[in-house]
Amino acid sequence: MKIKTIALNTFKEAIRDRILYLLFFFAAIALAFSRLLAVLTVGDRVKIIKDVGLASISIFGVLMAILIGTGLVYKEIDKKTIYTLLSKPIQRWQFLLGKFFGLVLTLFIMTLAMGVIFLAIVLLHTGKLEGRLLLAILFIFLELALITAVAILFSCFSTPILSSIFALSFYLIGHLSWGLETFILKTRSGAARFGIRALSAILPDLENFNFKTEIVQGLAIDPRFYLFSALYGMVYTLLILSLAIMVFNKRDFI
Amino acid sequence: MTKTAALRRKGSATLLLVVLLFLSGAGIVALKSAVDRIPRKKIPGASIIFIPSGKYLKYATFGYSSLAADLIYLWAIQYYTTYTIVDRFQNLEHIFSIIAELDPRYADPYEIGALIAVNEAKDLKLALKILDLGLEKNPDQWIFPFEAGHYAQRAGDYETARRYYEKTSKIPGAPEIAKRLYAAAVFKGMDLKESWDTWMEVYKTAKDERTRKIAGKHLYQVKSAADTKLLEEAVGRFKEKYNRLPGGLDELVSHGLLSSLPRDLDGKDYVYDPRTGKIQAPSVWWKR
Repeated sequence: MKIKTIALNTFKEAIRDRILYLLFFFAAIALAFSRLLAVLTVGDRVKIIKDVGLASISIFGVLMAILIGTGLVYKEIDKKTIYTLLSKPIQRWQFLLGKFFGLVLTLFIMTLAMGVIFLAIVLLHTGKLEGRLLLAILFIFLELALITAVAILFSCFSTPILSSIFALSFYLIGHLSWGLETFILKTRSGAARFGIRALSAILPDLENFNFKTEIVQGLAIDPRFYLFSALYGMVYTLLILSLAIMVFNKRDFI
Repeated sequence: MTKTAALRRKGSATLLLVVLLFLSGAGIVALKSAVDRIPRKKIPGASIIFIPSGKYLKYATFGYSSLAADLIYLWAIQYYTTYTIVDRFQNLEHIFSIIAELDPRYADPYEIGALIAVNEAKDLKLALKILDLGLEKNPDQWIFPFEAGHYAQRAGDYETARRYYEKTSKIPGAPEIAKRLYAAAVFKGMDLKESWDTWMEVYKTAKDERTRKIAGKHLYQVKSAADTKLLEEAVGRFKEKYNRLPGGLDELVSHGLLSSLPRDLDGKDYVYDPRTGKIQAPSVWWKR
């Protein structure tokens, strides 16, 4: 109940943030721009619309998660409202989870709004609703939830600027870590290979949520992949949130 | 609530968090390995077709174009040595032209790109195109036309090899062997006069005994080829006129088809087989 109250308050706070609307405005422009870009192509226009549309939802969603998420806890500490909150019968983990769910709810609404615009543009061109596009958006949302957890983790002990840089780095590492597979293949078995393999297992692999290309190109995806990827995202989010709670518990506000 | 109970509760919460951390850590490792085991379908060449042209990419590198060239080159080596990507050669030219635009003076990518094109993709034309690009961007580097000549010669395209070796020998700093390879390619193309003149020039300007010896052997080969050709033509004319092969080469002179019989560089007579009409040099040129 306490988590729900904090989450709803965080949601109300987040939707009052002007940066959210600025990003949403640019996302809407990017989605509309995909229609213009499609005019320039020779061949499949819908492919361009889908590619640009899904990329816009992903990029602007990540920016929303990072820019708002990194300020959530910091603002409470900076404005000293945290003293009032923690003097109430609220556990620190409840406070943090409330913040997390509040922002996730905001992102859900935003992703939904961007998704509706995107699907409407696709619908105008193809005359049909493609369910698989919704699946791509769903996995983008799972990725955003993980990025939100990361942003909150850094927000627990760092300034918004540094937290944004850290969270953005996490995002970039997550989308580049698949390259470690090449290193594993090219390295002889031994300590180095084991080290790279361990690094590959620990580092986030955000490509597990990236089904954009497959869905746009109409490639078949093993249903187990969806399942394991979704579980992977949820468990990774849980790990990051546990870390965030641990860090937040250690902080001394007095 | 007593202070001890509060402390105990705090301790249990920390323990729970640690357990949760370990469990979720183990969970992500297990799930990652489960996900990695499921193969994902790939669009042929999808990993590289979206790389824009080098000209535009240069602006996007914010002054780090040389570093970007290094990274793309490193990646290209890994990519082209991954034998499981069957269509990896589709964008070979695109990738190496990007590197050339980003760092035109970087010589290795032209050489390796051409090597991959000729040996792996079996595309001589593409290899020559990459090396031509290298020469265009680095007109002072003899290595590009030199390698192009080598690949063309290996493929049996002696006319192209000749052109490239000629280009090589005109670039300052080119090794002396370029001239010899030029002469050899010209010989293979059966331009015997040009080959003779070039080998003679090599012979006269040789700085060491070994080079002179090599040139001497090739001069023997060129002269033998020219003489053999002359004699075989005369034998052919003899057969046409008398409806038989000559019994010996002397008959060519006695019947007025040749004014005199040529001899090899050592003054020896050419070996004639009256049964087949074939003519051979008295010595093997490279054993001489």
